[in-house]
Amino acid sequence: MQIDLRKPELVMKLDRLGSFHQSKLSFLRSFIREFKNWEFKTNEFNLDNRGFGHIVYVVNNGQKQYSLICFSNHIEDSERSDRVIATKWDASFVLFDGVPAKEDIERLKANVPLQEQGRVSEKELCLSRANKSVRVFEHVVDKLSKGIQPDTKLLYSVGYLYRTTAVYGSGKFGLADRIKIQDREELKGPFRLEMMLVYLARQFTFDVVNHVAHFRSPSKAIKLSEDIARNLGIGNSTGLGMAPFIVNHPALLNQWIIAKEKALKAIRSILSVSQKDKDIFESYLSAIQENIKYWNTESDYQKKKNKQLLKDLDSFQNFYSTYTSKNYFWNSIYEWTEANTQSECCEFIVSLMMEVYPDIVEPLSYEMSINEDKYFDIDTSKTIDEVCKLIENQYTWLLNIDFDNKENIFNFWYYSKNKQEPRMSDRFSEEGSELELPLAIARDISALYGDLKSCDLKRDLGYYLLKSQEYRHILRRVLVCEKLPYSEIQDNTISKTLIPVDMIRLKLSFFGATRFDPRSDRWVRITMYQGAPLMKEISTSNDTWSYKKIA
Amino acid sequence: MHSLYEIETTIKRSSRAKGLSWGVSEEAGKAVRVLEQSKFQGLESFKRLIDLGLTKLNRLLDVGQSDTSNLCPIHFGIFFLDQSHNKDLHRIHKFKNINEPLLILPFLSKSAKNNLLYFDFKSSDLNFTISPGDIFFIDKNVVPNNLSDFSLTISSQRKSLYDQSSWDYLYKLSLETFVEETEEKKISGAGAGLTDND
Repeated sequence: MQIDLRKPELVMKLDRLGSFHQSKLSFLRSFIREFKNWEFKTNEFNLDNRGFGHIVYVVNNGQKQYSLICFSNHIEDSERSDRVIATKWDASFVLFDGVPAKEDIERLKANVPLQEQGRVSEKELCLSRANKSVRVFEHVVDKLSKGIQPDTKLLYSVGYLYRTTAVYGSGKFGLADRIKIQDREELKGPFRLEMMLVYLARQFTFDVVNHVAHFRSPSKAIKLSEDIARNLGIGNSTGLGMAPFIVNHPALLNQWIIAKEKALKAIRSILSVSQKDKDIFESYLSAIQENIKYWNTESDYQKKKNKQLLKDLDSFQNFYSTYTSKNYFWNSIYEWTEANTQSECCEFIVSLMMEVYPDIVEPLSYEMSINEDKYFDIDTSKTIDEVCKLIENQYTWLLNIDFDNKENIFNFWYYSKNKQEPRMSDRFSEEGSELELPLAIARDISALYGDLKSCDLKRDLGYYLLKSQEYRHILRRVLVCEKLPYSEIQDNTISKTLIPVDMIRLKLSFFGATRFDPRSDRWVRITMYQGAPLMKEISTSNDTWSYKKIA
Repeated sequence: MHSLYEIETTIKRSSRAKGLSWGVSEEAGKAVRVLEQSKFQGLESFKRLIDLGLTKLNRLLDVGQSDTSNLCPIHFGIFFLDQSHNKDLHRIHKFKNINEPLLILPFLSKSAKNNLLYFDFKSSDLNFTISPGDIFFIDKNVVPNNLSDFSLTISSQRKSLYDQSSWDYLYKLSLETFVEETEEKKISGAGAGLTDND
């Protein structure tokens, strides 16, 4: 039986993409797999009795070293904000290429806590910051200092001690350009360094609570139980700034999606599935349903999705426990799920199926990066007719959208001057649409198509570009999509009905985030590395941690 | 020092702010990035171009256009990037005057690679050739801010730049890595069948 990749017109709808879940392909998991044989150690520990100062963690394989320098600062409660626009944080982090000298630490101490307002150098690779979850942090320190373990019900309902906001890399604020590190074998997967930063920052959160609790009551204090720590991740609060990334990096998006689609295709194509594999799947399914109960959110949108997920998982379980099939078992399971459940559940089951087959899935994680410059140039020898046909075939979904209808061009994306971040606003009631970012892909492809259709179709693109350069950026995308069919979100990114949080969720799911908690349709809180091995356990970890039941 | 990412992004946005389309601005950002990475003063050159008034400069839209003075290097570069696949352009072109000619280098370099072409630039102050290879070097990496009465020859023909005697010498030397074949070796060492009639 020939099983094909799922079609882009199914997968690339925003509702589907916004229902993706973490999987074996997620970057935080491939980071742990890649670095599990490296040595992780605390190189410097310079915190005062209140937990302020710095810690340096070093990751080393005998030839190469990376260091995370964590600065812990005192801030007033009134200064604490987890929005990207904040100017002070409880902790700030910088990932250093090598091991920092004393002068490096002094230089970074003056700049890293300032984040966007500071400057770093090409010796540095990534930058981030985090705030305490105040109620959890205080509770944990208080209990530990009294010699008792904290209340796990409270802890697991939040999931972390600190919450990061942005994690910056690739040349921002003077950081090293990607070109400096792109050929390093250990960094072949996307966002490896960002994942390293977040992983080490999680360790920092445990070390700080233990340290502060100890100095609050040196004779009584105990350390946070490792079982509890393991079930804590690190939080992240992400806003609209992340959403344009997936539009601005079409080639990269294609690599992420096609890796997942190839994995699914390979699994659906397995002729004969062993009982052992079926049992593994079922055990993960059962554990994760328990963990979903900890996915707390105030968002009606997410609550509805989570409720539907649990309901769909219930019917899935009924189906799964009674279903018997000799051949192409997973294909039948997938087809039933696609037909009988919502996207949230369907994508959840896809992630779970991938869990059973590390040999199929894990190698694909090395195919998720791409040299985007290879796709930058426009082949101007193509005829206008060829490009029109490309649009008709690849962008069928947008050709009937009426862009004279206000609802379909309701929003515009812009770069906020004071917040230094992409934002989205109502075009008809707010100012600034003349400075719109080139993210109105559907509208602009439609306009390009109209323009091309009015030309002599036999002429080449060079001829068209002599007449107009207005849609050069869009033409580039159309040609990328010809080669990389999963490069384009197949929805109108400026319509009134757009739910931007779906765009954020797509990216975060590939990071490996769990517990999506949208705080509005424009920003979301999530957890990373919950259940992951602790720093000292990484060498013995086996990548099954993300489907273990939270105790 | 600013990262190449910061340079590219800033040039892209400032081009857009000065009225270029997003697509052209993207090209400008990449061009300046490539120059800076290659130790050319691309950012300074671009700044001077902004000072001249990007939209006031003459855009090259046709190699036969009557006015080729005060040319914009970004549009000049994009013209040859977009049009050089057309064989009708593979000849000599003469132009009156161009501002900040440094900025055309990344475009010609890319076009040379994409279309396997050679660009010979000639003027009284500066001569250079851009080839599909990766190496190009200009004396002291300094390009005048403005060049007049220059020509650009496009060719798909690689020229022989060495003497026949040098070739003969090296070829003979290369033969010293070969093994003389006996009649027996001719039969046993061949990978293919001895007859071609099957």
